[in-house]
Amino acid sequence: MSLVAGPGRGGALDGQLPDELQLVAEKHVAYIQKLDTRRDELEYHLTEHLRLSGIYWGLTALHLLHRADALPRDGVLDFVLSCLHENGGFGAAPGHDPHMLYTISGVQILAMVDGFDELEKRVTDGKRKIADFVASLQQVNGTFAGDEWGETDTRFLYGALNVLSLLGYLPHQRPNEEPALIDVKAAIAHIKACQNFDGGFGVAPGAESHSGQIFTCLAALSIAGELDSYLGEEGKDRLGAWLSERQLDDSGGLNGRPMKLVDVCYSWWVGSSLAMIERLHWIDKKKLATFILQCQDPVEGGVADRPGDMVDVFHTHFAIAGLSLLGYPGVGEVDAT
Amino acid sequence: MSHGVPRVSGTATTSGKSEQARAKERQQIEQYKQLEGDVRARISAHDYSNASLQLTSKLLSQNPEYYTIWNDRRRILQHVFEQELGEGGKSTTAPQQDIDAAHKAGLSLPQREISLLIQEDLHFLLPLLKQFPKCYWIWNHRSWLLRYATSHLPPHATLELWQAELGLVSKMLALDSRNFHGWSYRREVIAEMEKLSGSGMAEKEFEYTTRMIGTNLSNFSAWHYRSQLISTLLQNRRADSEQRRSTFDAELELITRALYTDPYDQSLWFYHEYLMATLDSSNAGAQIILHPCTDADRTAYLSQELDSIREMLDGAEDCKYIYHALLQYANRLIGLGGHGAPTAEMKEWLSELRKMDPLRARRWEDLETKLKL
Repeated sequence: MSLVAGPGRGGALDGQLPDELQLVAEKHVAYIQKLDTRRDELEYHLTEHLRLSGIYWGLTALHLLHRADALPRDGVLDFVLSCLHENGGFGAAPGHDPHMLYTISGVQILAMVDGFDELEKRVTDGKRKIADFVASLQQVNGTFAGDEWGETDTRFLYGALNVLSLLGYLPHQRPNEEPALIDVKAAIAHIKACQNFDGGFGVAPGAESHSGQIFTCLAALSIAGELDSYLGEEGKDRLGAWLSERQLDDSGGLNGRPMKLVDVCYSWWVGSSLAMIERLHWIDKKKLATFILQCQDPVEGGVADRPGDMVDVFHTHFAIAGLSLLGYPGVGEVDAT
Repeated sequence: MSHGVPRVSGTATTSGKSEQARAKERQQIEQYKQLEGDVRARISAHDYSNASLQLTSKLLSQNPEYYTIWNDRRRILQHVFEQELGEGGKSTTAPQQDIDAAHKAGLSLPQREISLLIQEDLHFLLPLLKQFPKCYWIWNHRSWLLRYATSHLPPHATLELWQAELGLVSKMLALDSRNFHGWSYRREVIAEMEKLSGSGMAEKEFEYTTRMIGTNLSNFSAWHYRSQLISTLLQNRRADSEQRRSTFDAELELITRALYTDPYDQSLWFYHEYLMATLDSSNAGAQIILHPCTDADRTAYLSQELDSIREMLDGAEDCKYIYHALLQYANRLIGLGGHGAPTAEMKEWLSELRKMDPLRARRWEDLETKLKL
């Protein structure tokens, strides 16, 4: 799987788009399939530190396009498990250090390809080891670090809850195990400390609200079962107002913060956040879908952040996930968290 | 989350490349893989030499997103630092000028060595940070170096390092005033400096946001930071209720002037909303400015702002944010007991809003239901 940008650009053919924009699903499938054949490009090697996430993005896009078979399951499983370290963390590629980000991707892929049995077959107590790795990164104040070097971020906190939930190791999934693997209460208290007056959340307490961070915080609250009780209707209205203002009048695309450029990936961060608080209808779905489709390369497949930029698998994934949220025909349903 | 996918500029895609370009790329790949292999092999063999450190510099300059190599770099540095700390006895063999310099700086010889190494590494990061200001790993490495210094060097030496970081982050934010890595790092720097010096910096930082806003009104990051500083500032000043009120009035005046300059800028409306939220006891994320704050205060301020915002409509009748603010604050006025709440006007504002903002038509529908006009 390559994370090389291009070869095409979003909205290619010099802006000559057909009147009726279509999702060029087969082209995207072919684009994703071809990614691993681009080893003759320097960028293929320069982006190895993202490989496992790249596979997750590609595979999710394929699943949503009902083409899960387009990447060989055995090959995917072999690669994922070759990134797993003895301590239970995944690196981005074989030999790369374990990190929360890739542990999230690794576990998400295993869940998607139904690979937990295979994990247990090849690694004794594999699930437990991964859960222990994740739990070991919780800090005194409830948040999570990305790895042993100490960076903390609400992205990692969400990732930890997501991984443990997929593995079935959240405390409420194992009520008889003492002591609990992580302190969910402290984690959720930390999320609450990251909330701002505008209803949004930042990367740490005091930080400006950011759509990506809002997604992680809402998803964490949701996994912990505290989303509705914490926000209430007032809180949802306030946050929904901020999120719905991310849609810009001219393009119909979404930005991540006030007065910033639109980007296809926010179709997911903002869209799924709105869906989690039942306010997705507060934006113009049709205009957003049109914007996403304009970012496609209709010839060689793949989606870019904005029309005219190079396509890549990250934006291809978030574009298709965004269309899925919008109920676009031919795209499978996705769980917002 | 991480926008790690590099943008290729120009037409450097596979299909359009000449054979010559392909051959050159093959060579670049080979050199890169060799360098990578060399670094990884040295680390596996625990070769924490200066030569290894230099190789990580070379590799990271080509690819600063390669997080494992940043870890390798820290492994090397940690090893060198620990050696320095463990070799206190060696100091007798050190040149006299080093001993003098360490003494003058108030450091032991190993501490001085570590301090120099850390400064050297911070220096190495500078051009990378300028070239890749959104790379998480570069900011992380800086932060790691500073934290190491903080736990191993005396406070006066560490404070100097953090002071220099404040200068750096100010420069970075001058280049891109919305870079959230920069703002996060700034908060970290200030928190550490306050801890080390034992004195608060909220006043200075507040002045900094005034300057940033003066340069560019539309900088929501600066407005946000300002919003975070006010309550600390008032606490540090031990402000009484009158002083709190005059601060609040001054902020309202500042934002009102800004709104007159550009009522179409949503950053400004969010700051106005921040100020008004401090009057809203139902908002969990709101800060405290007025203290005490009575319902009479709330009513008075809401009425005052409704009047002031109504005037903004003159010449900006097509500005949807004005109608939204009016509706919101009028509704809060109703919530407070509601005498003089302009229900007829509210209907009109809502209908303008719906005309002007079809993108969010269903949000305004929901609002209509909620307001029960």
